[in-house]
Amino acid sequence: MNRRTPLATLAVLAVTSLAACGGGDADPAAYPEDEITFVVPFSAGGPTDTVTRLIAEPMAEELGQQIVVQNVEGAGGTVAAGQVAGEDPDGYQVLMHHIGMSTAPALYPDLEYSPLEDFKTIGLVTEVPMTIVARKDFEPETLEEMVSYVKENADTVTLANAGVGAASQLCGLLIEQAVGTDLTEVPYDGTGPALTDLVGGQVDFMCDQTTNTTGQIQSGDIKGYAVTTPEPVEALPDLPTTADAGLPEVEVSVWHGLYVPAETPDEIVEKLTDALAVALADQNVIDQMADLGTTPVAEDQATPDAHTAKLEEQIDLWTPIIEDAGVTGG
Amino acid sequence: MSTTPAAPGDHAGRLGGRSGPSLPDLMAGATFVVLGLAFAIGGSQYDVGTALRMGSGYVPIALGGILTVLGLVIVVASFRGVDPTVANADRGPIPWQRMGLLVGAILFFGFTVGGLGLGPSLLVTTFLAALAGHGTRPGRALVIAIGLTALCLVVFVSLLQLRLPILGDWLGG
Amino acid sequence: MDGILLGLETALQPSNILICLLGVTLGTAVGVLPGIGPTATVALLLPITFEFDPVASLIMLAGIYYGAQYGGSTTAILLNLPGESSAVVTALDGHQMAKQGRAGPALATAALGSFFAGTVATVLVALFAPPLASAALEFGPADYFSIVVLGLLASIALASGSAIKALAMIVLGLLLGTIGQDQFTGVPRFTFGVRELYGGLDFVSLAVGLFGLAEIIRNLEHRINPSLVTRKVQGLWLSKEDFRRIRLPVLRGTTMGSLLGVLPGGGHVLASFTSYSLEKRISKKPQEFGKGAIEGVASPESANNAAAQTSFIPLLTLGLPAHPVMALLVGAFIIQGITPGPNVINDEPELFWGLIASFWIGNLLLVMLNLPLIGLWVRMLSVPYSVLFPAIIAFASIGCYSLGLNAWDVFAVAVAGVLGYFLIRWGCEAAPLLLGFVLGPLLEENLRRAMIISRGDPSVFVTRPISATLLALALIIVVAALLPSVRKKREVVFSGEDD
Repeated sequence: MNRRTPLATLAVLAVTSLAACGGGDADPAAYPEDEITFVVPFSAGGPTDTVTRLIAEPMAEELGQQIVVQNVEGAGGTVAAGQVAGEDPDGYQVLMHHIGMSTAPALYPDLEYSPLEDFKTIGLVTEVPMTIVARKDFEPETLEEMVSYVKENADTVTLANAGVGAASQLCGLLIEQAVGTDLTEVPYDGTGPALTDLVGGQVDFMCDQTTNTTGQIQSGDIKGYAVTTPEPVEALPDLPTTADAGLPEVEVSVWHGLYVPAETPDEIVEKLTDALAVALADQNVIDQMADLGTTPVAEDQATPDAHTAKLEEQIDLWTPIIEDAGVTGG
Repeated sequence: MSTTPAAPGDHAGRLGGRSGPSLPDLMAGATFVVLGLAFAIGGSQYDVGTALRMGSGYVPIALGGILTVLGLVIVVASFRGVDPTVANADRGPIPWQRMGLLVGAILFFGFTVGGLGLGPSLLVTTFLAALAGHGTRPGRALVIAIGLTALCLVVFVSLLQLRLPILGDWLGG
Repeated sequence: MDGILLGLETALQPSNILICLLGVTLGTAVGVLPGIGPTATVALLLPITFEFDPVASLIMLAGIYYGAQYGGSTTAILLNLPGESSAVVTALDGHQMAKQGRAGPALATAALGSFFAGTVATVLVALFAPPLASAALEFGPADYFSIVVLGLLASIALASGSAIKALAMIVLGLLLGTIGQDQFTGVPRFTFGVRELYGGLDFVSLAVGLFGLAEIIRNLEHRINPSLVTRKVQGLWLSKEDFRRIRLPVLRGTTMGSLLGVLPGGGHVLASFTSYSLEKRISKKPQEFGKGAIEGVASPESANNAAAQTSFIPLLTLGLPAHPVMALLVGAFIIQGITPGPNVINDEPELFWGLIASFWIGNLLLVMLNLPLIGLWVRMLSVPYSVLFPAIIAFASIGCYSLGLNAWDVFAVAVAGVLGYFLIRWGCEAAPLLLGFVLGPLLEENLRRAMIISRGDPSVFVTRPISATLLALALIIVVAALLPSVRKKREVVFSGEDD
């Protein structure tokens, strides 16, 4: 296999940057002396991966070291979180995780780590709004109409989601709770297939992140009812918020945050928080997030305190909802 | 495929002379029965559900049952005739030792690549694997192992930039 | 027409040609590494493309994808190591050809068939993308279930031995596909508490074990095998006779692949092996399949590449990824600030048509790059086997481990290898098992989904026209397979379909 053409070898050499491997001594003051790995618990190309790569670039520039994004998939993100929890607390392994960090304890009773005790928070990154959407020929025209339609036809309406523990399932649980009826959930293996069937009219409605639905709402392939955040979304000016449209209980966003193992020195955490702040103020990051239908969090949210508060609040919110619904991740 | 007569020890023949079952068919059928039952019984631990809302156990139990039945049919058929593709195959005896070396090599890699790192782990793996070759003596196996390890390190670590440490934690790397 | 011209103008810019060439080269180079399939290749190389502007980066990605696919076929033919489901079929006859000293013609067939199919499918994408995409959306869960059933039954023809053993292998594959977390309930099945198994077994591990490792153990049964090739290498190029034999299979494969590739969520998986099954069924010499029939390489390779092209249709027109590689591309679009979806054609005509034109250019570059390389690849087979097989073990172990850093993916290779060795020894072939494994989750998911949507009414499978048609076809296949075997029950038939 070493007899590759010189051209190919050259090309590989030309486009891959050279970086040293292996960890160094942990002197917090000198951090970072080596490349940093951002562990993403979902597949490359997904929304979480995209957000991570967006902020990794300006953060790397600010920290003066390369940041490598590594995708460790599996079990609703718990494989990645478990891996980072067990790493050396030297700041070279950073976990990016979303709302799933707060639902994991309820979904996975035998979780081998604790989101609150085994990690230090760096700061929140973005809160991606969700949208309530339906197939384009679904009868109701507004969210209010939809709620009463769903109540009347509870036994025929189908609610798609992207699988156990996915943000779309969580949002669906909130909707069911708010409307007060159990609906027929149709799970899919990820958002892509679920949206495909929604566009194709095989299922009635679902709730998913703007990152996935904005394009199809704009083109009219699916019908948008509302966004699930207190503020409207710039890319979708016609959609009211759930609060304005009469379903204030359904307030949910897919919040993302960065974590390091619990024993990491505060000095390193501070450096990462500072770099995150710089990244979130970067115009390119702001622009690209806007294209995704989201924004960086406010400056005071990109801090360990705000992040920890959010995590605690969300664990308290989701644990009873998940337990009541009897959902389990195994 | 050649049609050389079955070599001594070749399992393509019949058990107990001309009237016994065809051993390959019997073994294949039995394997399917065992695996089918294993999946069906394992699957019955999970919720079966209803036709509307099938539980986690529904499909494994159904498929496990089908596999068991197919396995039984193959077992029964093994008493009636030999699958010609097997009977005519040119097979030597099962290379137990060589197979053991290869399996050991791969398992060693899986167990140690995280701890020892890519370099040492791969060196042992390729050495064990090379030993499985006919007429490969330890000296030659070592040469092959060193060469292949170096090649893999160049390809995967230098060129492809895979995030694999060359020396792992166990060696203080 | 304006669109295509605009596309050619974009794609033919020297810098874009260069980028495309770079993508194709890198894709091939990484794709030929054993144990690294196209999905892994694209994922590995994805970050490189972020360096370029949107048009260039997508052109490069498309190039990487084609390169990776072709690279995967090369390893399948030379080393019997398929890196993805479509290459499983290529390995069947391709590797036999290689062992008979005909690796050159096999590789050339793969390259030429792919190029022809790619050209035709590119034209299809350019002309009919929107209507094809909306037709594909008519497919609901019940229809997917039925097409998977049809595909599975057709895949019995993949085996050259006993039909009932092939059926059992398919079912075993379906069962292996249930390992992992049940996405409907979240319950982990057959994982024995190992969280690394929640995502299921890895396809590449299983394929490397069942094909690669099992084949190595098998080769070690015999004392004398200085190299893989058992006969003298007979030329690198196709003979007149070869050309005559591949003409129609390439056409049929292209048609089949173009149509199936459009289906979001699994159509491309079916493309290569349904076309193989078709060839075998209509061939006058079905007994040659599995023993080095050139038609068995030509048709699935064409189908595979045609499907690779047309699977861009749902992505480009609807923003819906048809398979994992497409999902990676969605990410690439988003990173570049483009929301993939119906608006791309109007908002970014340069990008849309440029990408389509570069499909074709990518295919052309692929042929130009790979035909001269055939000699090199064939020479690789003359590496002494005592060195070659430890190399395969090493590359495959690293390849399986590297993507998920999951040791269980490595263990799976060993287990699958031993299981595969014995099953093959007992006359059960591995290809149907792998296809069952790939299609198993699709079968179960769509069955359960269809039943939920129909509120538990199984008649949905026969009342939906698409589903009913597909099931009727499946019935015909079963009847056609059973009839002759009833008639010639007493004969010992050395035939493909039945015994």
